[in-house]
Amino acid sequence: MTEPDTVDATLRALLADVLGLGEDRAAALTQDSGLFGELPEFDSMAVATVLTEMEDRLGIIIDDDEIDGEIFESYGNLLAFSLRKIAG
Amino acid sequence: MFVPPLFEEANRSRRTLVVAMRALAADGFAAVLPDLPGQNESLIPLDQVDLGIWQNALAETAAAIDGPLIIASVRGGALIDHRAQAAAWWRLAPVSGASLLRTLMRARVAADREAGATTSLESLQADAATAPLLLAGNRLSPRMIAQLGSAEVQPAAPLRTVTLGSGTDAVAGTPLWLRAEPGEDAAMAAAIATDIAAWSKTCGIS
Repeated sequence: MTEPDTVDATLRALLADVLGLGEDRAAALTQDSGLFGELPEFDSMAVATVLTEMEDRLGIIIDDDEIDGEIFESYGNLLAFSLRKIAG
Repeated sequence: MFVPPLFEEANRSRRTLVVAMRALAADGFAAVLPDLPGQNESLIPLDQVDLGIWQNALAETAAAIDGPLIIASVRGGALIDHRAQAAAWWRLAPVSGASLLRTLMRARVAADREAGATTSLESLQADAATAPLLLAGNRLSPRMIAQLGSAEVQPAAPLRTVTLGSGTDAVAGTPLWLRAEPGEDAAMAAAIATDIAAWSKTCGIS
């Protein structure tokens, strides 16, 4: 679970599951794709669900104070955050 | 008897569970999906119930059912299905209470942040020790929150536990209970019904 490609695939599948994006929309996400505030499905409950699923599927623990608005601004930010967490 | 997922996850899964119940009915099974006290159409305030009350309510409902009973629980439903008497248990994607509680608390923190208030998982935990806490639309008592925080699935036998995915101990489908907008999955409903019917045969019930 440490390969960047694996993390990318896991994250896309997770967003597809939580936001109901479907495989095509999830695969089409780019580094600059906006998440919170741009995808109408991405409400506060979805943020919470994404965080818990990231912990389960990526094997990481996310502390409250690590989370700021920037993480959910774009897909690239969320991926970078995940890779940083996995690297420890 | 289906035991639904807990809180919002139940709403996201209900439609698919009902479709699975229809498929089971067509196969000769009588299926029931009870509303837990304080959930869906129950008139009992949610802040007056806890996991123990849910376990007892399910045990009572099970006791009133004639004939051999299979209990089919989904997600958090697997945390409350073991006090009832049954001929067999079937669990789909069971989850710990701590995981459910963490998501509910995070939703509250995220909503508070949008509203300009600062809360944290720690501050909410402290508040929840003495007074009911509103989490993602659910007003939960201190007792419910304490029980959720430590709830794990309990042994039951005979038990079949399945996950989502492919393979022998899985049903194909998507985790509808996570989805922000409720959806339905007819193929998954059919897979659930088929798996439960096969488990029933394995257990010598039908």
